[in-house]
Amino acid sequence: MLQTKDAVNSTTIRKAIEGRDGAMLSGFYADDAVVRVIDRNNPPSKPREIRGRASITTFWDDICSRAMSHKVESTVTEGDRLAFTEDCAYPDGTRVYCATVVELKNGRIARQTVVQAWDE
Amino acid sequence: MRPIETRYARSGDIRIAYQVIGQGSLDLVFVPGFISNLDLHWEDEGYSRLLKRLASFSRLILFDKRGTGLSDRVDAHALPSLEARMDDVRAVMDAAGSGRAAILGASEGAPMAMLFAATQPERVRSLVLYGGYANFHRWVMSRERLEDFIETAETAWGSGATLQNFAPGRVDDPHFAEWWGRFERLSASPTAAVALARMNAGIDVCGVLASIAVPTMVMYRRNDARVDPAASRYLARKISGARLVEVPGRDHPIWTGDVDRIADNIEEFLTGARAVPDIERVLAALLVTRITDTAKLGDRMWSERAQRFQQTWRLLVSRHGGRISGLHGDTMLSRFEGPARAIRCAAALCDAANDIGIASAQGIHVGEIDVRGPPTGLTVRIAAQIADHAGRGDILASRLVADLAVGSGLHFADAGQLAPDELDQPLPLVRANSEQHLEPACRRDKPRANKPSALTLRENEVVALIADGMSNASIAAELRLSAHTVKRHVANILSKLDLPSRAAAAAFAVRHPGPDGP
Repeated sequence: MLQTKDAVNSTTIRKAIEGRDGAMLSGFYADDAVVRVIDRNNPPSKPREIRGRASITTFWDDICSRAMSHKVESTVTEGDRLAFTEDCAYPDGTRVYCATVVELKNGRIARQTVVQAWDE
Repeated sequence: MRPIETRYARSGDIRIAYQVIGQGSLDLVFVPGFISNLDLHWEDEGYSRLLKRLASFSRLILFDKRGTGLSDRVDAHALPSLEARMDDVRAVMDAAGSGRAAILGASEGAPMAMLFAATQPERVRSLVLYGGYANFHRWVMSRERLEDFIETAETAWGSGATLQNFAPGRVDDPHFAEWWGRFERLSASPTAAVALARMNAGIDVCGVLASIAVPTMVMYRRNDARVDPAASRYLARKISGARLVEVPGRDHPIWTGDVDRIADNIEEFLTGARAVPDIERVLAALLVTRITDTAKLGDRMWSERAQRFQQTWRLLVSRHGGRISGLHGDTMLSRFEGPARAIRCAAALCDAANDIGIASAQGIHVGEIDVRGPPTGLTVRIAAQIADHAGRGDILASRLVADLAVGSGLHFADAGQLAPDELDQPLPLVRANSEQHLEPACRRDKPRANKPSALTLRENEVVALIADGMSNASIAAELRLSAHTVKRHVANILSKLDLPSRAAAAAFAVRHPGPDGP
């Protein structure tokens, strides 16, 4: 896959997220990567876990199919770890705010934790 | 949490009401059946449970089809075609910012969902059909039966009369039947309902099934009362790669019966992962209330009084912090977090039954039950057996209930044993007194008073009449007091003399005759 050649850094992540490019995003992950999502329905003691690149691809395809805006606000890089915050909005005005930390292994995302809060 | 917001999408000149709930990564659009009303759904326990379950893993998008519920009314004499109505799905998805969604079509919503999946595959991630069909006359109703249904709708729309066509298992549930009447009235006018029924009768989407290419699950209830299960088997055969899932039950609406099983299947199909099983079990006190007296009252009066009692039961259970868990004919099940609440509620129900003029018998047991769904299993069966064992006006409980209620100030007397088949050992029972001490917290600090002098003159009169075997109502008439006042006197008497029951008070009066004799 062409996308897997993209280096994972704050610039490419911003480009993929803001461009709602699910294929590019999926290409950032290691085959056995794990994404953990913590939100109101998935509390810290029972986070939602998406395991493996196939499931993560579906996850990003679903999210990127939404006609919404994503804005990566600030990014911090420290060795093999990268953190960023994201401000998102649906056409009806509902806003979502996410804070994400990713851990890289051999240049791919091996583990990602997303904490998100929705307007409700 | 803010209340669920209802918004309006524009589909041509028509406004379509929709709601969006949940924070999941996938979008799920629910296409309802015959009629719907977005606001009313949340008032039914089963409906709101189903929607909350679906919204736990998705961003759930709900809407009322044009002509129904909160959406714009349309000319009932010129209702739009299935194709035009199908376009409402697209309009709602556009408004909600959903590019691609899983579509759940239930009942009459299924043909619409299939048509949408066949014509707009790029907008459909996957398809879930529940209780659906491709041809109305073949699998739902013959032309003759449709005319009968329309006749019922013409003459009795809004009264809940159509319930028997959809959920015969809920006809005897007055609360649900009343909700169904509101559901009819608030979802469509009589003219619209008849027009909708006639339009649905024209549904035939057999021709599009082969063009559905998205992952599809077809689900149906084994003994569905409205739509022939063969309809789902046909869909599964004709839609390429469809998964067929049968669930037990006969009530047709997707939000009745075991909604957790429905939601489990949908979640697994759409996310690839089974719902995290809530194998969590909690300790709960279960109260089974039986009412009897049909023979004495005659069927008609019995039915009126039973209905009154059931209304009171709902009120009292919720007033005592409990939850309604089931109503099966003349047997009612409610659930409480603590045994003392269950007993106090049972006492209040016993009084209510007396006031209404029917006999009640109640059983209470504590044990573990599944957190999810209505209580089932051993704890429920034992509570029911205790209630069966209870006599007229009795509140029987397992000894365990009394042990756990220590410190609550409630009083119990031994009541023998019960030997359920499912237990190795007989279960010791206690009888709870419906006239309980009023200020239990202070009771243990009080010196034990066991002389008639501890009682007021009026209380001595009351205890003497109790010894004569008189009921509270008779004592009230004799002393020209209200029944409530007599009840309070009895409770005070038991409290002051530290006696567990009315019978013990009678025995006390015999042992300690007052100046005028007992």
